[in-house]
Amino acid sequence: MVRLSEHNTQPVDKKETTMPSPGANVAKNSHVFHLEEVSKHWAGEHGFALKVPALTICQGEKVALVGFSGCGKSTLLDLLAMVLRPDSATEFTFFARQDERLDVIKAWRHKDLNALASTRMLHMGYVLQTGGLFPFLSVRDNIGLTRQGLGLPVQDAVEMVAKRLDIGRHLEKLPGQLSVGERQRVAIARAMAHKPSVVIADEPTASLDPINAEEIMGMFTNLVDEYHVTLIVATHDWQRVDERGFRRVEFQLKQDTTDGTVRATVCG
Amino acid sequence: MRLGRGGHKRGFETIIRLSLKDYFHERLLSACAVLGLAAVLAPLLLLFGVKIGIINTMADRLIEDPRNREVTPVGSGRYGEDWFSVAAKRPGVAFVIPQTRSIAASMVLYNGAGEKPHSVVVDLIPTGEGDPLLEKWGRIPKNETSVVLSDTAARKLNVAAGQEVTGRVGRSVTGIKEQVTVRLKVAAVLPIEAFPREAAFVRLGLLEATEDYRDGRGSEALGWPGQARPPGPREYPSFRLYARSIYDVAKLRNMFFEQGLEVYAKVEEIEIVQSLDRSFTLIFRLIAIVAVFGYFASMASNVLASVNRKSRHLGVTRLIGFSTGSIVWFPIVQSLATSLLGTVTAICFYLVVEMLINRLFSQYLSAGEYVCRLSVGHLTLALGFTVAMSIMASAYAAFRVAKIEPSEVIRDV
Repeated sequence: MVRLSEHNTQPVDKKETTMPSPGANVAKNSHVFHLEEVSKHWAGEHGFALKVPALTICQGEKVALVGFSGCGKSTLLDLLAMVLRPDSATEFTFFARQDERLDVIKAWRHKDLNALASTRMLHMGYVLQTGGLFPFLSVRDNIGLTRQGLGLPVQDAVEMVAKRLDIGRHLEKLPGQLSVGERQRVAIARAMAHKPSVVIADEPTASLDPINAEEIMGMFTNLVDEYHVTLIVATHDWQRVDERGFRRVEFQLKQDTTDGTVRATVCG
Repeated sequence: MRLGRGGHKRGFETIIRLSLKDYFHERLLSACAVLGLAAVLAPLLLLFGVKIGIINTMADRLIEDPRNREVTPVGSGRYGEDWFSVAAKRPGVAFVIPQTRSIAASMVLYNGAGEKPHSVVVDLIPTGEGDPLLEKWGRIPKNETSVVLSDTAARKLNVAAGQEVTGRVGRSVTGIKEQVTVRLKVAAVLPIEAFPREAAFVRLGLLEATEDYRDGRGSEALGWPGQARPPGPREYPSFRLYARSIYDVAKLRNMFFEQGLEVYAKVEEIEIVQSLDRSFTLIFRLIAIVAVFGYFASMASNVLASVNRKSRHLGVTRLIGFSTGSIVWFPIVQSLATSLLGTVTAICFYLVVEMLINRLFSQYLSAGEYVCRLSVGHLTLALGFTVAMSIMASAYAAFRVAKIEPSEVIRDV
């Protein structure tokens, strides 16, 4: 196993040197996630176990979880998004700022789901592979939902992010009236509108044609850089992630011959 | 520093808005749920309206009818003034007045006006302020020379209210027949249904004077000759008594029975209406319970189906970070909306049909009587009840919502 935290400082530094920005100094070396010995296991004939020996994600980093379908990308994303309870963990901490941390594993143990939810609302955005928009809300209301829930002013922020994703003309429409690509832009806008510290995206462009996927991913990463948001993306489009300045996190798969369980280990 | 305690202040409001927008977005399904509720509730309201209307009309007729509230002693007793002052204060007693000896309580009335003289022997019945029979059908005689005649008496005398008749009382003192007369003014004539026999309702004073005269005594007030009445309290052999309502009649009768006093009252007739009311109530309750179960089941399954259908969306609200305490309101708000709209729809249906029914049966009813009737209070109660039911019906759905694991539903196809 590999200690990822030592290994990974380089891409962050590289990013900071290539793209200097006002927030970058503050973000330097500060962690967003720190995980040690985190595991999640599903029993059964086709059992699956995910193990994260060590994973540290820093503020402003762009991380790509790369691997085949079923390698545990979604599981890791859900663990990081705090919607899936890990079986065990030595450490699992989320840092909203350097002085503001949430002991995720402790919150799970105390069944403090509202603390996790509240942190998610304030500091995270989640983009699903498809859908996840509310069909009964206009694009404007969909994008502004988190800001509304937080009691933040909605209009300007929504219009700004919609403009950046080139969906400003669709604000009054319902998601059902949009193309799949446009819906993904709305989903990205919703995840970004409240300026979270981290955005998690599960194959955000997998259901799109390559041209659309390219365009949307470009907009997404630009916006992420501009907002100084940490981005964690699951993808199987491994050629492009290096070009965009992503740090790769990969999965080693091994089938246990005794019980047939597939064991995935996260490694850099 | 610890992050994220509790929900955010606008989370609850946002979920309420989300729920209502979804409810409106799915307006066809919502309308189905509303009509489904109205379809259960409207017949139920009608059923209760008819029940309350018919029973109330029947009960009012019975309650209002003084004849049903009369408690009459069988045989004669000895009742002093003390007994009457106690009886008048007894709960459930509306009116009580002494009655003199029945053999002395009669008088010949004579109408000499007109071409042909008329006369009739009438029973003298004591009356006074508060007499329910005369309050309903006639008026209370103002003084000792004022009289209210029954229909048959007035017919035989050929008199109407406002005219005068002569009353004649006879006695035999040591073999010599004597008689006195008194001019009486007819204050009112009772309709035939109020009192069937020939009778004159008079103040107690006239009855006492008549009784005294027959006993050989005189009356100063009426100028009738005779001995002076010996001092001491008067005793009466009988009384006229009316209960406050039909529901007091059985109680009063039982009380008199316990005192060893045999009385006659229309307890059996009242019992029939009361048992009819009880059976009706039981039947309506059973129907209502079945309907309520049906409504509850349909409401609960509606909400549950909707929650299951929307589990992905609800999972996404969880993923976005709304608190459990906010999200559980999503099904409850929709259920509340259905119950409010459904009840209002049912009440509209009900009011239209109520009007039709009452119009249809109007010929059998007098003013202020209804076949079908629910008060504003009843309708408010129905609304409150359905709201409470809808909250209960959505409780399990809300519980399911609270248990939604975003990681299990957000990747649904």
